[in-house]
Amino acid sequence: MDLHARLEDVFRQVFDNDHLTLRDDMTATDIEGWDSVAHINLMFGIEQAFGVRFKGNELADMKNIGELKQFLSGKVTA
Amino acid sequence: MTPNGLTPAGQVTSADTPETRGDALLRQGLTQQAIESYLDAVTIPATASLCLKLARSYDRIGNHSEACRWALSIVDASDDYTTWQAGWTLFQRNAQRSAWPAARRVNVAIAGSYTTTQLGTLLRLAAARIGIQIDLYESPYGQYQQDIIDSGSTLYRFSPDIVLLTVHEGDLHLSEFSSNPAEEVQTEITRWTTLWNVVTNQSRARIVQHNFALPCDIPAGHLATRLPGSRYMMTQAVNTGLGQAAGSAVSIVDCERLSAFIGKQRWCDPRYWNMSKQAVALDALPLLARHTAAVIAADVGLSRKCLVLDLDNTLWGGVIAEDGLAGIQLGHGAEGEAFVAFQEYLLKLKRKGVILAVCSKNNHADAIQPFQQHPEMRLKLQDIALFVANWTSKPENIRAIADTLHIGLDSLVFVDDNPVERDIVRKFLPQVDVLPMPEDPAYYVRTLSQYLLLETASLTAEDSERTAQYQARAHIKALEASATSIEDFYRSLQMQALVTPFDETQLPRIAQLIGKTNQFNLTTRRHGMPQLEAFVGDTRYVHLALRLRDRYADHGLVSVMIARQDGNTLDIDTWLMSCRVIGRTVEATMLEHLCRRALQLGCTSIRGTYIPTPKNAMAAEAYPKQGFSRLDTTDGTETWMYDLQMNGSVTNPFVQSVDSWDPPHGER
Repeated sequence: MDLHARLEDVFRQVFDNDHLTLRDDMTATDIEGWDSVAHINLMFGIEQAFGVRFKGNELADMKNIGELKQFLSGKVTA
Repeated sequence: MTPNGLTPAGQVTSADTPETRGDALLRQGLTQQAIESYLDAVTIPATASLCLKLARSYDRIGNHSEACRWALSIVDASDDYTTWQAGWTLFQRNAQRSAWPAARRVNVAIAGSYTTTQLGTLLRLAAARIGIQIDLYESPYGQYQQDIIDSGSTLYRFSPDIVLLTVHEGDLHLSEFSSNPAEEVQTEITRWTTLWNVVTNQSRARIVQHNFALPCDIPAGHLATRLPGSRYMMTQAVNTGLGQAAGSAVSIVDCERLSAFIGKQRWCDPRYWNMSKQAVALDALPLLARHTAAVIAADVGLSRKCLVLDLDNTLWGGVIAEDGLAGIQLGHGAEGEAFVAFQEYLLKLKRKGVILAVCSKNNHADAIQPFQQHPEMRLKLQDIALFVANWTSKPENIRAIADTLHIGLDSLVFVDDNPVERDIVRKFLPQVDVLPMPEDPAYYVRTLSQYLLLETASLTAEDSERTAQYQARAHIKALEASATSIEDFYRSLQMQALVTPFDETQLPRIAQLIGKTNQFNLTTRRHGMPQLEAFVGDTRYVHLALRLRDRYADHGLVSVMIARQDGNTLDIDTWLMSCRVIGRTVEATMLEHLCRRALQLGCTSIRGTYIPTPKNAMAAEAYPKQGFSRLDTTDGTETWMYDLQMNGSVTNPFVQSVDSWDPPHGER
């Protein structure tokens, strides 16, 4: 599975939505239920799935999904 | 894979498994076929991700009860936070639609010193796995003390059954180094016991207290262990003190042990504290939720009483009928040691009050041989309350075991290395809980120690004598079969009863009985310790505790009656009896003593109430059998009357009432 699909899987699980599709220009406001609790769950889910660790506000500071993917592809050794 | 990394169409790759085939089918929208593929992939216990995929697929096709079942099996399969969270969402949605049954509903108020939203969710999932539906209230962040102290707070309006104090080491009012540690520790212990007392004075709730996990980062270093005034040592002293101070209304979840079990580095992740005030890392929350649920289960009386054990490859390695006494693995050698360790652990559980029964597909003579002759056997025949070895199916034998020991199927845990037998029992006897056994016997003990339903809220002297009592009961079943009449049988037991008003030392056992007796319980009113103490201090109340013994065993305190004087009538508020002694005429003895008290008080009649529940049908005939007549039925609740002047006192020719347990039985 490529990075996009793996990320989508994490989102689907956290937001309990089988049909959720990610686009690079999406932000937190585009996804229903992305509140502070979901944010923590999402961050944890991504860390576990990709074996990465976010620092401080890294995740919160990301502009959109595209930027998150860029960040992950830089950290993940495929 | 081909060298260029592409898989030609139609070719099966080495990664092609039933699970990945299911994934592919699901992506194509073929949910039903995906489910079949996933079910092919299930080993027992199933992996968490497979449980989640099955729950999700069943959810998609609208099979709500299967979706619930698989969502709950995540709890047995792993401690993965993300899977648990997803499992809860699925369970919650499908439980509503399938009217998923819960054995008990419990209102839990979380009063915490850190963000508890996530813990609350996971706790509800873990509790649902063991039959408890939790309705949840959370104190506002940083306000748990105010919420507890203010009698008008929303916490009390929620009318909690349990107040759960989820607190962490950072919240302790202890200095980094104290010149007077004894005083500082005592002050801190008093802060907590005061909160407990406030809760029990202002509500009927019990307390479940998380104790304090020692932190990773100790400024005093290794020197800390030598300094009683270090915060490190004072924290340990607070934990010890809380354990000692916890009365019968308080249970403790040993977070210090849990954090050590999972590893301090995983338990405390400072990033989560900094970001959202999570004192326990998300990674560790499923473990904490699971153990908190286990303690709550014990509190509400849902713990299991009896382990039903297989023999071959469960208590020893190999098959006794084929390998013979010298051929089975037991002691000597790595595998043999694993079985010895398992037996020793079972013995310790037995001493804690867990009943052990054997259910084995074997010839009886083969099955008992190791117990009688193998030098490395730790379990002896007298440790086993009931020994069943034959070729009947396990579900049928397990039913017979429950019946003979007079306990419900919902008190049993099935322990068998064979996944097929486990599956059959799970399918045919859903009330019996099945231990998710690992393949390697070296981990049998760990699995049992992490099992949720063997916690006990308190240890009473009677608990450790249970096996003798249950053995006696099995013996009595055999006698019953041979006695020519039931009257002969009752007489042959030579039963004696000691009936007394409640006294202080009996109250924990009485509270335990009131908390967990479901079957012979006329009103199922779950009075807690504070109410019981109030009854004892109130002269309008008559309270009787009955101990029973016979020629075989001392059954301990087995029946409780509470009645209130209402003019010329004595009104029975609570009457219950342990199922250990059902079918032995003890009911009449209890009423005999109540009649005696009624006459002393100048009452002319006794009023009884029967409130039906799904579990207490066996008590429905209690009043009519003893000569009560029906007065009224409202919404299912029946009121019964006994006219003392017309009928005289109830008597029981089969049980001799005595004034003390001395001299010992048979020497009168």
